Amino acid sequence: MSDETVNIEINGEPLKARKGQMVIEVADDAGIRIPRFCYHKKLSVAANCRMCLVELEKAPKPMPACATPVGEGMKVYTQSPKALSAQKNTMEFLLINHPLDCPICDQGGECELQDLALGFGRGVSRYTEGKRVVSDPDLGPLISTDMTRCIHCTRCVRFTEEVAGYKELGATGRGEQMRIGTYIEQTVDHELSGNVIDLCPVGALNNKPFRFRGRAWEMTQHAQVSPHDPVGSNLWAHVLRGEFLRAVPRDNESINETWIADRDRYSNEGIYSEERVTTPLLRGKDGLQPVSWSEALEVAAKTLSDVIREHGADQLGALAAPGASVEEHFLFQALVRGLGSNNLDHRLGQVDFRSDGAEGHYPWFGITLEEIESLDGAMVIGSSLRKEAPMLAHRVRKAALNGTRVGLVNPAHYSYQFPTSGHLVRHGAELVTAAAEVVVALSEQLKASVPEEVQGLVKNVEPGAEARAIAEGLAAGESRWVMLGQLARSHPNWSELRALGLAAAGMANARFGVLSDGGNSAGAALAGVLPHRGPGAQAVKDAGLNAHEMFVSPRQAYLLLDCEPARDAWDSAAARDAMAGADKVIALASFMNEDLRQQADIVLPVGVYAESFGTRVNGEGRWQSSQGTVQPPGEARPAWKILRALGNVLELDGFEQMDPEEVLRDARAAIGEPGPGEENLDGVELAQPARPKGLWRLGEMPIYAVDALVRRSEPLQQTRDGRAAEARLAPADAEQLNVNDGDAVRVSLGNRGCRLLARIDTALPKGSVAVPVGLAETEGLGPRHGGVTVERI
Amino acid sequence: MRFLRSYAKSLLLWELLLGMRLTLRHFFSPKVTIRYPEEKTPKSPRYRGMLVLRRYPSGEERCIACKLCEAVCPALAITIDSEMREDGTRRTTRYDIDAFKCIYCGFCEEACPVDAIVASRFTEFHFEERGQQIMTKDVMLAMGDKLEPQIAADRAIENQYR
Amino acid sequence: MKFHATKEFLPEDMREMINERVSRYPEGWQRSAVIDALREAQHRNGGYLDERWMDAIADQLDLPPIDVYEVATFYSMFETRPVGRNSVSICTNISCMLRGSDEIVEHAEKKLGIKVGQTTSDGRVYLKCEEECLAACKGAPMMMVNHKYHENLTPEKVDEILDGLE
Repeated sequence: MSDETVNIEINGEPLKARKGQMVIEVADDAGIRIPRFCYHKKLSVAANCRMCLVELEKAPKPMPACATPVGEGMKVYTQSPKALSAQKNTMEFLLINHPLDCPICDQGGECELQDLALGFGRGVSRYTEGKRVVSDPDLGPLISTDMTRCIHCTRCVRFTEEVAGYKELGATGRGEQMRIGTYIEQTVDHELSGNVIDLCPVGALNNKPFRFRGRAWEMTQHAQVSPHDPVGSNLWAHVLRGEFLRAVPRDNESINETWIADRDRYSNEGIYSEERVTTPLLRGKDGLQPVSWSEALEVAAKTLSDVIREHGADQLGALAAPGASVEEHFLFQALVRGLGSNNLDHRLGQVDFRSDGAEGHYPWFGITLEEIESLDGAMVIGSSLRKEAPMLAHRVRKAALNGTRVGLVNPAHYSYQFPTSGHLVRHGAELVTAAAEVVVALSEQLKASVPEEVQGLVKNVEPGAEARAIAEGLAAGESRWVMLGQLARSHPNWSELRALGLAAAGMANARFGVLSDGGNSAGAALAGVLPHRGPGAQAVKDAGLNAHEMFVSPRQAYLLLDCEPARDAWDSAAARDAMAGADKVIALASFMNEDLRQQADIVLPVGVYAESFGTRVNGEGRWQSSQGTVQPPGEARPAWKILRALGNVLELDGFEQMDPEEVLRDARAAIGEPGPGEENLDGVELAQPARPKGLWRLGEMPIYAVDALVRRSEPLQQTRDGRAAEARLAPADAEQLNVNDGDAVRVSLGNRGCRLLARIDTALPKGSVAVPVGLAETEGLGPRHGGVTVERI
Repeated sequence: MRFLRSYAKSLLLWELLLGMRLTLRHFFSPKVTIRYPEEKTPKSPRYRGMLVLRRYPSGEERCIACKLCEAVCPALAITIDSEMREDGTRRTTRYDIDAFKCIYCGFCEEACPVDAIVASRFTEFHFEERGQQIMTKDVMLAMGDKLEPQIAADRAIENQYR
Repeated sequence: MKFHATKEFLPEDMREMINERVSRYPEGWQRSAVIDALREAQHRNGGYLDERWMDAIADQLDLPPIDVYEVATFYSMFETRPVGRNSVSICTNISCMLRGSDEIVEHAEKKLGIKVGQTTSDGRVYLKCEEECLAACKGAPMMMVNHKYHENLTPEKVDEILDGLE
């Protein structure tokens, strides 16, 4: 947009505007309200609702303010008799086919049409003819439809096309037959689709799980931060009589703009799951029995000290969910370290810890979300970005459409909905070679030499056309970025991928970042929930066991903070066996599951993210605190309180805090200001990746299985992404195995395995089978990535 | 002179006689009190007594859980929980009125778009235990069913003024 | 998003024809070829479009299917449900109406035993609801049968034309 300014006048008020701005934007900036339905600041201009008609001097007819660019000396009147009459007439037309069923409409009270009808509608309708009725398409479990209410503003259509990237909704038919929908019976599956609910100015598209449960005016609104991915989207929690009924986006231009992902919007449905633990439980003769808090804490403390006395502190393993808050992580590590153990980790989804010592102080994007938009070149290695962090994917997409050349190196052909400079798809075992190809191509492109550390990995690697294209894209321009995703982090050759990513970043002078699991892995790392580092990334003397080691060399006792090892762990089968074999398992858990029921000795019920004060550090290193907005159900208590009480019963130091703010103060004092730290390759031994026998299992974490809360959200589980328990095969492999789409197959590794339905997926390269993790169906299989055999049954 | 007149009046108990005259007159005039509860005073069709919930002639409850009555209630006497019923319609799962809080202002009736909550002529109720003053949906619907003929007749009269 | 059919569904010559049309427009404007492709598809599919053809065209043009559905449902010349072999549309716009098109419609309906918008049970004639003027007012009342105009209609002439349809 041009920087040239023009002078215009709105309602007699002289204003300055940038050339090319629309009248409505200038008016909005100046606080002059022009009624509108179809205009939205984040979407293209459609000018089809005609509600924003204003009078322009010298224009014979009223003009739509949203589609009229400003010009020098333009005089606009938004309230003149001519403008008002145009607006009122538009409103009358809009109301002709609107059912006026506000009393049963969930939008009632927060409806743009209702608000504007109050100002511009007639008291009594003149329209006596029959109104049009439209049947409602089923758009899936998240969005309810009442299309008779639709006023055809096409905001939802433009959203799916422009923001989500794939036009799922459209306006079919014309004139009175025009209707918004999918035309054929199908659901809207995009992971940002819930935003059409907020965009819809009427009650045509609404929040389905929330349907008929509350009114806008009776709910209280509380600021919250999403704990499901490292973006840390800002939310408003809408609470009615102590119940968290729905989440809507809280505008934050530098994080989530005005959107949120469906995962953030609907995860609150899990809070009231029947699996919620509401009382402390203690293993008695017939399984877990409810007990009082004092007894539970007493027994938990005694169990911990007994285990340490009998087996030594080394036999205690402690695991925390990466979505827990900084306060909880801080007290958790203080408790475990106070007991003398360093077996402490939050990286349950990782297996390769060789580069622990060389990694930065906490996993971060290496860049702010806003800066992504102004990049020239970027490369993402090992990430199904859209499913891992939808809002980050949205930023990258925006950048790509804006001219950033984004290259992708992935183990499967994930859909991105934006132009890429290249998408290098390789079988999981060859991912390192793929990354090496790009590094070689980049060194040729930039005439730079490949860093010595990774020389061994690039030997005899000949870059293909795709790798060259990615390298060329990355080498373009001034500002560049290399990021490694969750699939890279969970890869058995994470160290090699990271080294190659760092090498590429080093050669291209790009920033280097990591997309980690959960909403607060940065906070967990800073708070010291790591075997080798304490708070503030201070190295500890005797590094303990990491998450994977704790499972493969089982401990006598485990302390869990809101994680479900069999679902979260890299090797789910080993994790489950380790829990089953342990003498004692003490779980601070918000939800019950079969494994806990069988294995836990003490279950202490904790609150979920909206139920206590909590601070989370997102992937930009941004600290965000939010208050507890609802009470934990029953006897459940915020985890920080339980940890503090445990610390007190065990008579440990550093558990004197009275409130969570004090815990945060203590945590901040202990953490200090370490900064992101340096990412290097010091002391990391790199090896050529081995190619295992059989098909390569690609263990993707499905978008709606990332943490205990999301797994309990019924509406999310009913979506297409939620029904992910399938073994996806490349067509060539399916043919070879004589497997058809929908056949039952057994995926096995040694004597472990699981039975799944096969799905043929052209996105997968030959030789790999995508078997998602984090699901009950695939728990028995074990390692997230590696060789498996598939057979038809 | 004035002194003499007042002296005479007080001597002759004039004012007492005036009072007795009034007493005597009322002694023979028709009575205004009634023998409650055998007899009752007439009530206006606009009378605002106990709130009840109405049904449609089909037996379907009228209330659609729009919560306008809850919003307008100045005494915060109404509490509603709503949900989608199995047939997909919007219905209340809870409709409580705290009879102790209710001030019988009738705003809820004004606000109701479907004439579900109405003020009846019914005023004769008592509570024996704390907690009974919470009128639940079942109770209010039952009262509505019982009083429906009178309520319907009253609304019919009032219709012309609404 | 699942396609009902991919571009391989289209006959080779039709794909070539679509590509040729696409080449007439600037790059990135391949959606301009949708109408041509739909018309061809309708012709080849016995006078109407179904999801397989529309999805195949969407795939061929690299568009989301909904873009094609929007176009197909917008224009009244595209049929999106099965119709008869012969498409008969009688103009009822103002000039034709003044010259007695209503009687012509009534006569045709009676003769065929169907209402406007319906197809005869033998699938021979589809009496179409024409929305706008067909620009042959000089010969009003008129009708269009399979893209051919017939003007100055009388009931007898209509009989003759309708009887002559295969």
